[in-house]
Amino acid sequence: CQRKLVENPQSILTPAFFKTAQGFQTGLDAAYAGNRNIWGPVDYATMSVPGTDEFITGNDGNNDINKYNSNYTSSTGTLSNVWTPCYTYINTCNGLVDNAVSVTGLDTATRNEMVGEARFLRANYYFLLVQQWGNITLNEHFQSTPTTSAAQSPMADVYAFIIQDLRAAIAVLPPSPQTTGVLAGKATKAAAMHLLSKVYLTRGWSPAAQAGDFTHAFQVADSVIHVLGPANGVYLLQDFGQVYAEGNEANNEVLWSVQHTTNLAYNGSATQNNSGPDNLYCHFWVPKYEVEPGMQRSTLYGRPYIRWVPTLWLMDTAFADKVNDTRYAKSFQNLWLCNFAGSIPVWTSPLPPGAPANAVVGQPKFTLNDTAIFMPGYDVSNAQIAASRYLLIPPRKYSIALSPAMTKYFDINRSNMNAPSIRPIIIYRLAETYLIAAEALLMSGQAAAAVPYINAIRERAAYPTGNAAAMDITAGQVTLDFILDERARELCGEVTRWEDLRRTRTLLQRVQLHNSDGRFTITARDTLRPIPQVQIDATITGPAYTQNPGW
Amino acid sequence: QETKTLLKGFVLSVTGEPLNGASVVVKDHGEGTITSPNGAFQLTISSNKVALIVSAVGYTTKEEVVLVKEAGALVIHLSPGKNVLDEVVVVGYGTRRKADLTGSLTAISEQSLKDVPVANLSAALQGQGAGIDVQKSGGNSHPGAAPSILVRGVRSIDASNSPLIVVDGIPFNGSIDDINTNDVVGVTVLKDASSTAIYGSRGANGVVLVTTNRGRTGKPVVTYSGYGGFTKPSGEYGVMNGPEFENLKKWGLINGNPGKYTGIDDPAFMTDGTFAPEELYGIRHNRSTDWQKEVYRTGFMTDHQVGVSGGADFTQYAVSGGYHKETGVYPGQSFERFSVKLSVDQQLGRLIRFGLNSLDSYTITNGENANPMEQALRASPLASPYDSTGALINYFVPGSANQVWNPLDNFVKGAAVENRKRLNTFNTLYLDVSLAKGLKYRFNAGTEIHTDIYGNFYASNTTNNLGGLSTSTNSTGINTSYTLENLLTYDRTFGGRHKVNFTGLYSLQQYEAQSNSFSDNSITADYLQYYNPQYAANLTGTGSYQKWDIISYMGRLNYTYADRYLLTLTLRSDGSSRLAPGNKYHVFPSAAAAWNINHETFMKNTRTFSDLKLRLSYGTVGNTAIDPYQTLGSLSAINYNFGTAVVTGAYPTNVPNPNLTWEYTSTLNLGLDFGVLNNRVTGSVDLYHEYTNNLLLPESLPPTSGIPNAVLTNIGKTENQGIELQVGAMILQSKGKGAFTWRADLNLYINRGKITRLENGVTQDIANNWFVGHPIGTIFDYKKLGIWQNTGADSALAQKLGLTLTGTGSVIGTIKVADVNGNGKIDAGDRITQGSNQPKWEGGMTNRFSYRGFDFTVVAFARVGGTITSSLFQSGGFVNTYQGNYNNINVNYWTPANHENVYPKPNSASTNTPYSSLLSYFDGTFVKIRSLSLGYTLPRSWLTMTGFHTMRVYATAQNPFILFSPYRNKYGGVDPETAMGSGAGSGNEGAIGINTPSTWSMIFGVNGSL
Repeated sequence: CQRKLVENPQSILTPAFFKTAQGFQTGLDAAYAGNRNIWGPVDYATMSVPGTDEFITGNDGNNDINKYNSNYTSSTGTLSNVWTPCYTYINTCNGLVDNAVSVTGLDTATRNEMVGEARFLRANYYFLLVQQWGNITLNEHFQSTPTTSAAQSPMADVYAFIIQDLRAAIAVLPPSPQTTGVLAGKATKAAAMHLLSKVYLTRGWSPAAQAGDFTHAFQVADSVIHVLGPANGVYLLQDFGQVYAEGNEANNEVLWSVQHTTNLAYNGSATQNNSGPDNLYCHFWVPKYEVEPGMQRSTLYGRPYIRWVPTLWLMDTAFADKVNDTRYAKSFQNLWLCNFAGSIPVWTSPLPPGAPANAVVGQPKFTLNDTAIFMPGYDVSNAQIAASRYLLIPPRKYSIALSPAMTKYFDINRSNMNAPSIRPIIIYRLAETYLIAAEALLMSGQAAAAVPYINAIRERAAYPTGNAAAMDITAGQVTLDFILDERARELCGEVTRWEDLRRTRTLLQRVQLHNSDGRFTITARDTLRPIPQVQIDATITGPAYTQNPGW
Repeated sequence: QETKTLLKGFVLSVTGEPLNGASVVVKDHGEGTITSPNGAFQLTISSNKVALIVSAVGYTTKEEVVLVKEAGALVIHLSPGKNVLDEVVVVGYGTRRKADLTGSLTAISEQSLKDVPVANLSAALQGQGAGIDVQKSGGNSHPGAAPSILVRGVRSIDASNSPLIVVDGIPFNGSIDDINTNDVVGVTVLKDASSTAIYGSRGANGVVLVTTNRGRTGKPVVTYSGYGGFTKPSGEYGVMNGPEFENLKKWGLINGNPGKYTGIDDPAFMTDGTFAPEELYGIRHNRSTDWQKEVYRTGFMTDHQVGVSGGADFTQYAVSGGYHKETGVYPGQSFERFSVKLSVDQQLGRLIRFGLNSLDSYTITNGENANPMEQALRASPLASPYDSTGALINYFVPGSANQVWNPLDNFVKGAAVENRKRLNTFNTLYLDVSLAKGLKYRFNAGTEIHTDIYGNFYASNTTNNLGGLSTSTNSTGINTSYTLENLLTYDRTFGGRHKVNFTGLYSLQQYEAQSNSFSDNSITADYLQYYNPQYAANLTGTGSYQKWDIISYMGRLNYTYADRYLLTLTLRSDGSSRLAPGNKYHVFPSAAAAWNINHETFMKNTRTFSDLKLRLSYGTVGNTAIDPYQTLGSLSAINYNFGTAVVTGAYPTNVPNPNLTWEYTSTLNLGLDFGVLNNRVTGSVDLYHEYTNNLLLPESLPPTSGIPNAVLTNIGKTENQGIELQVGAMILQSKGKGAFTWRADLNLYINRGKITRLENGVTQDIANNWFVGHPIGTIFDYKKLGIWQNTGADSALAQKLGLTLTGTGSVIGTIKVADVNGNGKIDAGDRITQGSNQPKWEGGMTNRFSYRGFDFTVVAFARVGGTITSSLFQSGGFVNTYQGNYNNINVNYWTPANHENVYPKPNSASTNTPYSSLLSYFDGTFVKIRSLSLGYTLPRSWLTMTGFHTMRVYATAQNPFILFSPYRNKYGGVDPETAMGSGAGSGNEGAIGINTPSTWSMIFGVNGSL
């Protein structure tokens, strides 16, 4: 009878499974899947895209954090929504790395490669944490017993651990995403090297800098660009417009991506309700076009979450050249065609001065599929606006509800107009490797050497209509500001800006100059995020968890 | 000369209801019988004049002298009265005379249960006994939603606080909804450890013993009871009307776009897209849609029960069938129950008796999660659910940021379908064998099989999917459990004064549950609903399996000396599969003593007390009401893909806790029972102190632990102490048949709980909301001072605290909180404990009046003190965001001109007003009239033609009034009642969500017997 008191679970996986060959594989899959909690949902993107010189807060959403106002505190949910999954999946990676030696039934090469993948993922999670929060907890090993205490490690230790992981990963991972047999979204040597160069670059700027960091950053980046890449099918696409073309997310420029799929049961949420680990990037930049005359919501133009709108600086200054540089046109939408006959406006009497010749009082101003909204990108007079058949919006009339929309993540193949995206999200791509190399050269005092790396990007940006030669710069033009501006032109919206500004110690200055939301509110404490309150509250034994300065 | 005469009669209550099971005994002779369900009895007596002693549970015993010759149709009326000493009450594993009780319990009679006809048993217990707290779960009034029961407060944080339900001696694992209240003839709630200790590991939260009707020897009796009525919402949530919402939107935009608008009358609002075209039309035509009115309808309920019982010398039986149906206050919600009960008792020879009892029910619940309220409350009152042709709009409600779908679309036939079908069969069997004088063996077996089939379908155009893919879910589950008990009892009286009763038990309980659930979307044809996922896409599935066992040994000794000194000793040992090896067994001892003071010789001459008893008990009970496999740890699944290759990963989310052990509660209880004026006033007072140790807590770990899910651990201690008072009095009782009577029963109880210890000397665990010295359910938050005003003083102070005063994030007009720790800034260190959901006191009162055939009953329930949390006000479901995107609770929000100091400014640039949680705390005080019931017992003369022996017609209003509730009367809430601790550990204790509003109902019914 006493045998009845022995438990034999039949519907749950217990930690022992994690140590089997099968469990090892499912654990690694989960460690990858964890990235969907970081890239795709609103939280991490909120910590990286707006609140910078590139984007301000749009009409909707929780935005105190982007405005750096006093309602942004350690209790702001965004913080723990990023912090917590990072540590959860770091522990998964820890389990994989620690258990590797005892897993049976896997050949050594496969096992080593899998451990390399786990180390790449672990390094990536830690890199995100250390960039946003500074001195954080460094768990080097799997935790399988409950603990209510937590230690903080110096930034230097965290960087050292990340570099150690990446070096180990680089040694065992397959060369590139284009290598035969490498599945989309898998960690590769190219991705790990790109990340390593960025880690060196970041550490080089930080108080934890080591001699040679910038040199290392350049060497690793250059090796991807000139050695590993060319040998393994990784190169810059000819057309910038193809990099973010829908369906082309596995292109030759891509180093690593977080996956999503048309197989909805395996996408973020099976019901596509924009919750959990769904890819919502398709919604965030969509403005409130749907309330304008002649417009309604459509899958083509997207679901207006209206989270972020570009700063005037990005529109006018960074993208001052809209002729030779095709990137503005390829990154932003400024024209909407009428898709709703029910709300087309009619000309009213008297006709405005300068009205089109065929304007007739009482007749519709335009028809279906005619222009309904247009943002020319230059100023027009109020009279021209009044006389226009469609809604004409010059930059001075851009608003937090209606501004040019960044299109990099648009997705017209979603299941319906409100559904999340099924597109993979490109996290690392070769164009950034060039800019990392350039910044590393500049910082190690070789500005002139950076010129070809920058020009490679700029010349490509002219394709096909611009004058590539006119895009070229000279050694004298290579400054930190220029590189940051170039990053904005090339990488705007690609979920790296806040870290870039923070790394280069330009966050305060650039927000004060270009960000109308945070101009007067940002202070020195904002160069680090506050430790989430839940972390401080739950650390009830051992030393108290230290909050970042000023918070 | 002796003549034998057959004496026939009826025992009825003063209100004319037949009393089933009343005892009729001839004084000084000992001959006696028990009445059948229609109250009839017959006795063969041998003299012309006899004195009959008539008693029944819940009634004052009566002595009636009868002259047999005149007797004819003898009718004996009994007055309600509790605490009658010879009354026999059901206790754990047996029955006891009330006079012999040593523990603390509350017995609720059939009459009390019938006073308030309700859909489920838990609702029937509301306000009926001290220390029994019955609450709706989170303000949920869905048809078929069973309220939660708490006995003596919340003691456990994570483990369930629900009492153990025991039906006819066997633990009942199903839903209390599955029991037809009409089949219940008595309920005993065991409260202190001495009474519950014999249920050991399952007794910690109190035990509710339910006794169902059984057959009696005599002519077959047919009973019928039925009622029908309607249900309406108790009130509407106080959201804004059209013009109010128009102004809110404008103010939101003014504050969210500083400098853009000149003021509330800026004409730009009418042209710049602030309002959708439909809203502009609404403004021009003074439209003010009351979306709640559009959503609500009147619900109906009906209930019928027919029973037949009877028996011959060796066999007794009772059969009944019942039907109950109620529909909700919005379409698509209903609850239906078909129930059948059968019991048979058979005597085999002199020594053996066995019986079977089967309770079977089939229930259908529709729309248990149907809740269009969030959408209905958020919808713009300037828009309409219908287009200009009067057709229902199948789209978002204009002007609500394309987030609010027309809630009426859910009511289109076939658009939102949700139903659950449960089949529950609960069967018990006993075999009694008399082994020797006083020595009995009893084998008790119970088995329960519960199947549950659930399906839902939500079309694309519903509030569930907002125009997205249609979704379906289909799940099935089966639970089986059995209990096997071997009981040995020895009951003897030695030397006339030494009464000994011993009970020994060995039992095994097993519970097994398994379920599967499948979800899919985009089904080919909506009418397929959830029935065939083959025609749908994106099928996903989950499953679960659980099993637990408890092995128990128990011994109990009752000793009574001369009816004066009573002693009960109990020892139970339980082994539970759910705990870690090495910690599976625990022993639960208890002892109780009582002193019947009025049986002492020195009390012989005092006539004041007809009953006076002092009770003292101490005992320990356990709690393992945690899910199986918690000691093992687990991985969670997550899906991913690598290009077209799809995978399901698994990662550690729950760590094993091999040290998990019993949570146990020791209770010290001191009680006094009294009866004065020949028991015209009776009552009891109980004082108790409970110590709970090794609390089973789900502890949230720091995120850096890498363990995202809370870990179940044994940490800490809690204490509960309280006072319970129960008094019943026959206030007026005039002589003669049908005269005016007034009886009042009152119960009051106070419970104070607090955490007394946490791990490693920790005194506060903010992440888990536990604070030493404070009760479970404590609120920990910032301290609200008011609203930041646009004054120099406030601006200077805000600046000093480092708060933003410019732009859309300006604190002016938002909630002002105190810098409690005085460190010159507002930070997490400024949070303090501020109250809890623990009420100051609670109580119930029942007044019963009767005059001639009429009876009138009022049941009231009060809760005073305690803080409730209303998520409605904390922008739950985005209803009170102050953003202006959606309709809002109608409050006097701050504007630069009005200096409002309670409600913040609207701000279109802020999804939620900062510190919005501070808007959600309210005084939970209320007094509710649970029911008002007026009945009339038809005179016998009217019934002669009908064949009925008795018939009573009545009308009852359920929950007609909520009084003295600041939440309802002052702040626009609907119902302050909420289940405390039902969401234990979830942080939702005492929280009111946005759900089916509270309802009141009116029913009309009839009870009769043939």
